Amino acid sequence: MLELKNVSKTYKNGVNALHDVNLRIEQGEFVYIIGPTGSGKSTLIKLLDGEEVPTKGVVDVLGINVGKLRHSKVPKYRRNIGVVFQDFRLLERKTVFENIAFAMEVLNEPSRVIRKRVRQVMNLVGLDDKGNAFPAELSGGQQQRVAIARAIANKPKILIADEPTGNLDPGKSDEIMMLLEKINREEGTTILMVTHDTVLVNKHRKRTLVLEAGYLVADMVEGGYFSHE
Amino acid sequence: MSKFFRRIGRYFREGFWGVVRHFAMAISSASAVTITLTLISIFLMFSFNLDQFTREIEGTVQVSATLNYDCDSEDETRIRSAILNIAGVDKVTYKTSDEEFDYFVQMYDADGKAGLREIYADQHPMHAAYYINVTSDADLKYIAEEVGKIEGIYETSYGGEGAVLLMDALDSVRYGGLILVGALSALAIFLISNTIKLTIYARNKEIAIMRAVGASNADIRFPFVIEGILIGILGSLIPVGLTIFGYIYLYQLLGGVLLTQMWPLIPAHPFVLYLAAILVIAGVSVGLVGSFFSVTKYLRWKR
Repeated sequence: MLELKNVSKTYKNGVNALHDVNLRIEQGEFVYIIGPTGSGKSTLIKLLDGEEVPTKGVVDVLGINVGKLRHSKVPKYRRNIGVVFQDFRLLERKTVFENIAFAMEVLNEPSRVIRKRVRQVMNLVGLDDKGNAFPAELSGGQQQRVAIARAIANKPKILIADEPTGNLDPGKSDEIMMLLEKINREEGTTILMVTHDTVLVNKHRKRTLVLEAGYLVADMVEGGYFSHE
Repeated sequence: MSKFFRRIGRYFREGFWGVVRHFAMAISSASAVTITLTLISIFLMFSFNLDQFTREIEGTVQVSATLNYDCDSEDETRIRSAILNIAGVDKVTYKTSDEEFDYFVQMYDADGKAGLREIYADQHPMHAAYYINVTSDADLKYIAEEVGKIEGIYETSYGGEGAVLLMDALDSVRYGGLILVGALSALAIFLISNTIKLTIYARNKEIAIMRAVGASNADIRFPFVIEGILIGILGSLIPVGLTIFGYIYLYQLLGGVLLTQMWPLIPAHPFVLYLAAILVIAGVSVGLVGSFFSVTKYLRWKR
């Protein structure tokens, strides 16, 4: 359902971000993408959500050639993909409920449908009683749950989590991991999680892709991460 | 269909809240619109009334053509038909020299009248004359010249000469005003687009989220365009009020004329309503153009 064939990306300023990456991920998989800063992780995400176009090769998601997508078609394509950021990106002036509902409102869903789905995802992420709270009143872990709830509100096929535990302590990171696993299981969402956290990767073992200086250097189906200096 | 209305409803809701959220900024650009529209309003009042005066004067002014002393009734008939052949001539009336003399004498007081009648008891120096009424869009100067070329005409003149010159002068004032209004409109558009640009920056995060969840470009842009239009309408409120009440007040104060009966003002109703409609439309267009500029420029940087 998600396939990269000989994908290279060179930015206009000459930076080579990705070299000849080949990759295939099936529906319902949970995959880690790890690698140091500047290894091409962000570029990979941008190629997948249609923000960047590959210099060479084909990015195929759900049978759509993302690199060839016309500008006007990108927004509709992007509804297939939910994104969670390291810094949560919640709207401070809106409550938890409104933050999650916002993602559906901008797609002009009827408010009846929105209310139902928001309550559903709030239950899923374990924030049933926080609907009227503002983001500033929540802990970091809870804020990230809101962001995850918002990302899955529109039922995307793929959830990309960009360092979702980067700002959290280990205990909270575990909780977020368990939540993502639950979403993967219950909603059948394919999850790509970009992370630096080797402890987490070793604890919750899953298929792991390793990027280094733009090359896909390892694809370990059994998971785990070891240094290879 | 209901999705369409939900979408339109959201554009207006978001646009409205955008104005409320950035109220100080909205007011500052709305005041630029206010100044521009006030000047446009004054300009339009001036302009329309000037048109009206010009038409009024050209419609009432007569060209007088005096005849040579030796004209007989045959000449008179010939001259009459020649005058009627000139383009723009509406009607010709003939006055005998005696009638002309009586008219002249009427301008003096009782003593003067008696004196004049005594002096010119046997013979008076007045010419017989044709008074020529012209159609409203006629060129007075041209008609006067053409009449002067007819054989047997002693002299031509038209009373409104000074007035027509004044109209020409006011016309150039009007062109100057037009340029000023154009420049001010450009300024208002710039200020609105600046406000919308700042709103876009202030709502960067929201826009990023909207993009991330796949809101279409129209869904992202239209609330900002609506916001610009609302600012334009906000800015037109005061000029519309000033126009309606100011013009009605002025009209009553001046008794419906400017300086003399020769220049009647356009009646307030429904003139002010037309002006108000023009102002609102101008405000909306300025807001639309201004916001559209910045939205197109600042939201197009990404796929």
